[in-house]
Amino acid sequence: MAISVVMPALEMAQETGKLLAWRKKEGERVTKGEPLLEIETDKAVVEVEAPGDGVLAGITADVGAVVPVGQTIAWLVAPGEKPPAMAVTTTPAARASASPERTSAATAVQATEQRVEAAPQISPKARRLAKELGVDISKIRGTGPDRTITSEDVQSLADGKGAAAPVGVQPLSQVARLMAERTMQSWTSVPHFFLVRDVDCGELIEAQKRFSQEMERMPGVAPTITDLLIGLLAKVLAKHPRMNASWSPEGIRSNPEINVSVAMAVKDGVVGAVIHRANTAKIAEISTLRRELTERARAGRLRPADITGGTFTLSNLGMYKVDAFSAIITPPQAAILAVGSISERVLPVDGKPGIRPMMTMTLSSDHRVVDGARAAEFLSGLADAIREPEKLL
Amino acid sequence: MPEVATRELTFAQAIREALAEEMRRDSRVCVFGEDVAEAGTPFKVLSGLVDEFGAERVMDTPISEAGFTGMGVGAAMTGLRPVVDIMFGDFLTLTMDQMVNQAAKVHYMSGGTWKVPMVLRTTLGATRRSAAQHSQSLHAWLSHVPGLKVVMPSTPYDAKGLLKTAIRDENPVVFFEDKMMYKQKGPVPEEDYTIPLGVADVKREGEDITIVATSSMVQVALGAAELLEKIGVSAEVIDPRTTWPLDEKTLIESAKRTSRAMVVDEGYGRYGVTGEIASVIAEGAFYNLEAPVKRMGAMHVPIPFSPPLEDVTVPTEQTLFEAARALCGKG
Repeated sequence: MAISVVMPALEMAQETGKLLAWRKKEGERVTKGEPLLEIETDKAVVEVEAPGDGVLAGITADVGAVVPVGQTIAWLVAPGEKPPAMAVTTTPAARASASPERTSAATAVQATEQRVEAAPQISPKARRLAKELGVDISKIRGTGPDRTITSEDVQSLADGKGAAAPVGVQPLSQVARLMAERTMQSWTSVPHFFLVRDVDCGELIEAQKRFSQEMERMPGVAPTITDLLIGLLAKVLAKHPRMNASWSPEGIRSNPEINVSVAMAVKDGVVGAVIHRANTAKIAEISTLRRELTERARAGRLRPADITGGTFTLSNLGMYKVDAFSAIITPPQAAILAVGSISERVLPVDGKPGIRPMMTMTLSSDHRVVDGARAAEFLSGLADAIREPEKLL
Repeated sequence: MPEVATRELTFAQAIREALAEEMRRDSRVCVFGEDVAEAGTPFKVLSGLVDEFGAERVMDTPISEAGFTGMGVGAAMTGLRPVVDIMFGDFLTLTMDQMVNQAAKVHYMSGGTWKVPMVLRTTLGATRRSAAQHSQSLHAWLSHVPGLKVVMPSTPYDAKGLLKTAIRDENPVVFFEDKMMYKQKGPVPEEDYTIPLGVADVKREGEDITIVATSSMVQVALGAAELLEKIGVSAEVIDPRTTWPLDEKTLIESAKRTSRAMVVDEGYGRYGVTGEIASVIAEGAFYNLEAPVKRMGAMHVPIPFSPPLEDVTVPTEQTLFEAARALCGKG
């Protein structure tokens, strides 16, 4: 029986994916799990694996096409079999190598979020002109009423005047636009509250040195403070499941796995790369994975599983010498921890002024999921863990 | 417009002059209706006509629109060229059988043996504080019927030229005059001229939006165009002058050039003249349009007697300006 190949939804609010390349040709045999196509989402370029065995047939999406999530773009058929008629095009969830962590509740959230942004309108004249000039209308920013694309917008793109942005305005990239929309949505709809706590990192630094020495002979492994914080966070989250839960309109959804998302800077924005099941991973594993993710993020080649399923986010701006900051939650996650740099500060130690390596943590929480006391308990547990990292790691 | 046209007449004077000239030119032309003779109609359009042509050719009738419209149809069939006066367009309802089933059909059903060269003159337009039964603009009703021609002049010049053509036409023509426009002045040449039916007139040239306006709405559209000019929108105003025959080509070509179009007419918006013209433009200029064709007509209510309420039922310069501005994405 024919298996449909659909444009996968790789993240919560993805609406379309751009087809970058077919890795197989029409009529070629493919086996399940082989790379089948390459797509670009709002955040990353990803490879999509074949959902089954068969012969690739009935390709409907050309390279460069922007396709709505869930739309069938090809079929895997038995040799000699014809692809079905294209009436059956809506398979909502990603069938290719999309994250197995997705739950039905998550899909429901995705469905509601998809309404936010409809495809832009284009005037009949503009559509005709775009066809005549060979202009890709997905690249045009409409300037007409309700952001309708007008023929002027088409013409100015064809004339090489960019995406018809007004003078002095930088048109937004996909990543930048998505970041703007998601942070706006979170900041205006999630009731944030913030808890701040300083923590002594002396032992944490010692632990990092020790791990580094232990792993010296392991190629490509050099645990950082961030890696240790991921490991500690995950262990502490295991004791505070509510901090690892998600808000949904139906109620609070607990997440069976602890997947720590690490905020990483990419061109034009930020992306949350996910260390799955971080509570059961060894520091060496976390370190290796985190390094790989960083490299893929820099190259803009994150894979679907790399950016999906996060249940709690860690954002570290210590390397920028930031003392402390408040971060915006990534819905439907319940919280995000923002950590600043570790710096030597004078403070009382055993009744005398002492100098200790201190770090300020700011926990942003969704008040619909957790209250102040619950978040404080978690932050206290985390501070204890950082002060005595050997106990958990 | 001819260069010698320096003389100004009111809309009413232009109508009267057209009638007088045609009555002098052709002895078969006669006028009848309520209060057309001594009274010269309540709007004083026909004042003095009876003095020149006598009560036999300018004849008062009883208050029976169905009766004297039928008389007009019969007179036309048997050799006269009557101009029937229906005081208020609202009373057209009483003439419907004569106009729709007789006047419009006779030529077809007699295989061309009979013809009905008659003109039915009547009025349209609100804001005269005449309440719901004396304020309607029912030209869409007649425009809907094959066999009838419908004329809607918007200036004294057009009124005279079009009425003369209507009187000379071999078919039944319904001639709508805006009762609020009778005192409006405009240049009208003294020499004989006619304007063909089915030829639109560009009242104002423009580049950014086409406003198709009929009758009472032409001046409104020209006023709105002035307001639009101030915000940098150049509006073209076109008066089709006749809803049937309709100069589709001029409307479509203008909309193709400006790529935006609005249609404004004082009849009811729903199932009205605006819908028909907007559809013609959409079909003909679709691939040149930047926006849907916008319609503006009278509000879908019986026209209120209360002046403040009546005033909001019809499009104004300001409402037309606002709608055009939005359509151009400038608001």
